[in-house]
Amino acid sequence: MPKVKINDIEVDVPAGTNMIEAAATAGVEIPHYCYHPNLSIAGNCRMCLVDIVGGRAPEIACNMVAREGLAIRTDTPNVKKMRQSVMEFLLVNHPLDCPICDQSGECRLQDYYMDHGDYDSRGVEEKVSKQKRQDIGDKIVLDAERCVQCSRCVRFGDEVTGTGDLRLMNRSDHTEIGMFPGERLTHHYQGNLADICPVGALTNKDFRFQRRVWYLRETASVCNGCATGCNVQVCHQEGEVFRYLPRRNDAVNKSWMCDHGRDLVPGIAGLERVLRSRVDGCSVDTEAALGALTTRLKSAKSVGVVLGSQATNEANWALLQLVRKNLPGARLYAATGNDPGSVEYADTLLVDADKNPNNAGLALLASLDGRVGSTAELGSALGSLDLLVVLEDDVIGRLKGHGRPAALAYFGVSKNATSAAADVLIPVCHTVEMDGSYVNRQGRVQRIRRAVNAAGDAVPAWLVLERLGGKLGHAPGTGMVAAAFNAMAKAVPAMKGMDFKALGDAGLQLATDVPEVAAPDVPASPGATA
Amino acid sequence: MDFPRILSGNWEVPDSHTLAVARACGTYTRVEMALKKPPAELIQIVKDSGLRGRGGAGFPTGMKWSFVPGPEKRGNKPVYLLCNADESEPGTFKDRYCMWKDPHLMIEGMIIAAHAIGCKVGYIYIRGEFRYIYDRLWEAVHEARAAGLLGRNILGTGVDFELHVHLGAGAYICGEETALISSLEGEKGQPKLKPPFPAVEGAWRCPTIVNNVETLAAVPWIIENGAAAYKAIGTEKSPGTKLFSCSGHIRRPGVYEIPLGYPMKDLLEIECGGLLPGRTLKAVIPGGSSVPVMTPAEVYACNMDYESIQTVAGSYLGSGGFIVMDDTTDLVDALTNLLRFYAHESCGQCTPCREGCGWMYHILCRVRDNCATAADLVTLKDLADNIHSKTICFFGASAAMPVQSFLLKFKGEFLARIEAASMGIPAGAIIANPEQRVGHPVAPSVAGA
Repeated sequence: MPKVKINDIEVDVPAGTNMIEAAATAGVEIPHYCYHPNLSIAGNCRMCLVDIVGGRAPEIACNMVAREGLAIRTDTPNVKKMRQSVMEFLLVNHPLDCPICDQSGECRLQDYYMDHGDYDSRGVEEKVSKQKRQDIGDKIVLDAERCVQCSRCVRFGDEVTGTGDLRLMNRSDHTEIGMFPGERLTHHYQGNLADICPVGALTNKDFRFQRRVWYLRETASVCNGCATGCNVQVCHQEGEVFRYLPRRNDAVNKSWMCDHGRDLVPGIAGLERVLRSRVDGCSVDTEAALGALTTRLKSAKSVGVVLGSQATNEANWALLQLVRKNLPGARLYAATGNDPGSVEYADTLLVDADKNPNNAGLALLASLDGRVGSTAELGSALGSLDLLVVLEDDVIGRLKGHGRPAALAYFGVSKNATSAAADVLIPVCHTVEMDGSYVNRQGRVQRIRRAVNAAGDAVPAWLVLERLGGKLGHAPGTGMVAAAFNAMAKAVPAMKGMDFKALGDAGLQLATDVPEVAAPDVPASPGATA
Repeated sequence: MDFPRILSGNWEVPDSHTLAVARACGTYTRVEMALKKPPAELIQIVKDSGLRGRGGAGFPTGMKWSFVPGPEKRGNKPVYLLCNADESEPGTFKDRYCMWKDPHLMIEGMIIAAHAIGCKVGYIYIRGEFRYIYDRLWEAVHEARAAGLLGRNILGTGVDFELHVHLGAGAYICGEETALISSLEGEKGQPKLKPPFPAVEGAWRCPTIVNNVETLAAVPWIIENGAAAYKAIGTEKSPGTKLFSCSGHIRRPGVYEIPLGYPMKDLLEIECGGLLPGRTLKAVIPGGSSVPVMTPAEVYACNMDYESIQTVAGSYLGSGGFIVMDDTTDLVDALTNLLRFYAHESCGQCTPCREGCGWMYHILCRVRDNCATAADLVTLKDLADNIHSKTICFFGASAAMPVQSFLLKFKGEFLARIEAASMGIPAGAIIANPEQRVGHPVAPSVAGA
C-alpha cells in the first residue's frame, strides 16, 4: 500500500490507485470530465492537472498511479490557473443555453465554473456551431454544441456495450461526437450515456423537460426489474418518481443499469397498479378484506400459499411465519420461472432472463422448509385447492390452463391475470414505496428504501401480513422491517450475522452460494396443444 | 563548402533511387556487416556515435533502442520498427528528398535498426500527400526483397525482416509517434497517453520503436565508419551532419546537409546564397514552424546545433526547417498563417489545444484585419501560455511557441498594427515601412500589458 501525499495530507491507498481516487480518500476533490472510474483513462479534458512536488511540469491526476512517496498539490496558484483556463477553453465554444438545457443543475460545466472558473469572459469570437437536437436512439438526444469531447460515451460504446457506435468526428474545434450516417443506437443501455455525459450533450428523452433536477430528492435503492438487482438512485419529488439513476456498486452493476429498468418508472404510479382492496368484486377497505380473508382461511379445508419471487425477503418471511403459526395444514409453494420471451432479451452484461428481483431470496427461504412445493407441483394441485393465497406472483398467468382453485386471495402490486381472478385482493407496496431487502442472482443481500408514499391503499406486504396474522391468532412478528429481517437472518444459515442496518448502501454477500433456483419455466399446461 | 555527405551523397547520381545504382554507390554493403554483429553491439555503436533523432525532439537514438524490453521481459510479443515518414511540419522537406532520391539508404538503415532491436516486421508510415513517393518506396521495397535484402533469411544470415509501406491520410498530428501508431492501427490519428511509452507498449500494444527517415538513413554510415568517425563530425553534444530544409526569402532555397554546429550566419549567406538583393533580414524560424522565432541578432550569434540555438535564442533545432523572412514580411500575416495551420491540424483531443488553437487564430485574424485591440494581444499571450505543456502531446506547445515568441520578440509590430488600425490607417500601408513601426509609441497601459 503506497503512501501518497495530497496537499500535505498523507493517505495509504491500494497499489494501482490513480491520484483522483487517492485524493478523494484524502478528502480532496480533483475536478475532472473525461475520467470515469468504470471506463479506461483518456486523459484529454486536462481538468485534473495537478502540480507534483519536486516535479518539472504539471501532470494529469487520472493517469498518475499512486507510488510510494508521491506528493501532489492541488492548491497552488498554478493549479488554480490551469483549471480556470481549461474552464475558459471548454466554454469558449459552448452555447451557454443553460436556461433551456435539461442538464442544468447537474452539469459539470456549471458546477466547475462556479468552483474553478469564475473569470471575466474574454470570448468575443464567433462560436463554432454544431448540430443540435440529433435523434440518435430511442432514448437519447444528442446536442453536439454542448459537448466537451470528453469521449466518455465513445469509451462506453467501445468498452461496456461493445457496440462502438459513437465516435469523435473531425478535428480541432470542429471535433464533434456523432454516429455513422444513417445509424442509430441499438443497445438497451442508452440511458447510461446520458448519465455519464458530464454536460448536456446527451440527454435522456424520457426525462427531458420533466423536472429540474434541483427539485429532485434521491433515495438509494435497488432496481426491481430483474435478478441482477442493479443499485439505483430513485429520483423523486413530492411523491412522484421521475427517474432511476444507476448507483455505483462495483460488485453488482458498476455504474450502469439497463433501459428496461428505467422503463419501470412510469409503472410506479401507472394505471396498472392495484390501488383498492376488493372482496368478491366489491371495493372495500383493507381491514375488511383482511377480515374476509381470515374467515375464509379458517373455513377452508385445503389451503395453498404461494411465496413470491417479486416480494421482499421480509414479506416472504412474514408469510412463512404466518403459515407456520396459524395454518399448520396449508401447503407452501414457491413460484419461480422466466416469463416467455425473457431469455431472448437477456444479455451477459446486466439484464437477466429472470425478471424477478428476489428469486435467490425466495430460494433461501424455501430451503428452510423442506415441504415447499415447486411451480410444477403447484400446477398440478391448483384445481384441488379450496383457497390459494398468493404473494405478489402472477400465478394464474404463469399457470395458464392448469385449472383454478375454488377461491383465490392475492396480495399484489400490479394488475394481472391473478388480480383479475382474485376473490380477495389486497394492494401492497411497490419497491420504491417501502423498506426491505432482496437477494440478487449473485447472492448479494441488498436494501431497498422507501422513496415515496404508497399509492392508493397499498401497505408493505410484511406489514399487512402481520395484521392478517394478528387476526388469525398469531402475528408473525414482522411489524417492523428491521426486526423481520434480523429474525430471518438468525434463521437462515447463509445470512448468519447479518443485520438490517449493516446492509448499508452496498449490500452484503451471502455466506454460502445461492441455492439452486428451481429450474425451468412454466410447466407445460395440460390443455396446451402443439 | 565541402562537408561529408552522409545522407545526401547519392542524390545527384542519376537514377539513385534504383537498387542497381544504389548498390553501385555502396548502399547495402553495410547490411551483411551489421547482421553478423550481435544486436547489443549495434545499439552500443549507435549510442556511442551520439546520433540524435532527426524528427525534431533530438532524443538519443541508441538510448531509445535500448528501451525495448528484452525477450525475457516481453514474452512472445513481437517488436515493431516504424519509420516516421509523415513529414508535415511547415518549412520541413528533407525527408521527402531522402525518400525520393535515395530510398535504399533508409531501407538499409531500417534493416540494421530492426536487427538491433529484434524486430521482424517494420512499417514506413508515409504522409498522405506523398503519394508519388509512396509508389517509389514500394518499388524500392520490392527490389530489395527480390535481391534477398528483405524477407526471410536476409543474405543468408538467418535474420528476417519484412517491410511494409503505409500511406497516411494527411494529418500533421500523425507525425507524433503515438498518433502515428494509432493511425497505423486503423484508429483515428490521435496521440496516446504516456506512459506507457511506445518502446514498451506501442503498435498493437507491442514494443515499438519509431524513428525519423533521416535518423535511419544515418545508421549505415555509422556502422560502416564507426561511432568515433561520426562523433568527429559536428559538436560534442550534437554530432554528425543534418539536413536543413531552407526556404523563404533566400537566393537558393533547398535541402543542405551540413555538420551540426555550423554557424547559422554561414548557412544563410553561403549555402542559401544570402537574402534577395536589397533586402534585410527580419526573422528566422530555425527548426520548422513549431519552434520559437529568432531575431537577426540571434541568427548572427547562433550555430546550427541543438544546444547553441537553445542557449542563444531560446529556440530549437527541431526538424531543421530553416525559414528566412526578410523585411518585406508582415509578421502579423506570417503568424496568422502559421496559426491557421495549427487551428486546422489540432487533433481535437485535449481541451486547451482543441479550443485554444482556433481561438488564437481568430484573434490573429482580427489583428490582421484591423479589428483588434491591445487587450487582444494580452489574451493571445495568455492563451498560448495556457496551452503550452498542458496537453497530451507536444502539439499544444508547438502551436503556442510561435505565438509566444512572435509576441515576445516582435511585439512592436503587432502593437503598431493595432495602433494604426485605431487611427484608421489601412492595412496595406503598414507593410510598406515596418521599421518605423517597431517601438512605435503606444498607450502606457498597453505597453505594460
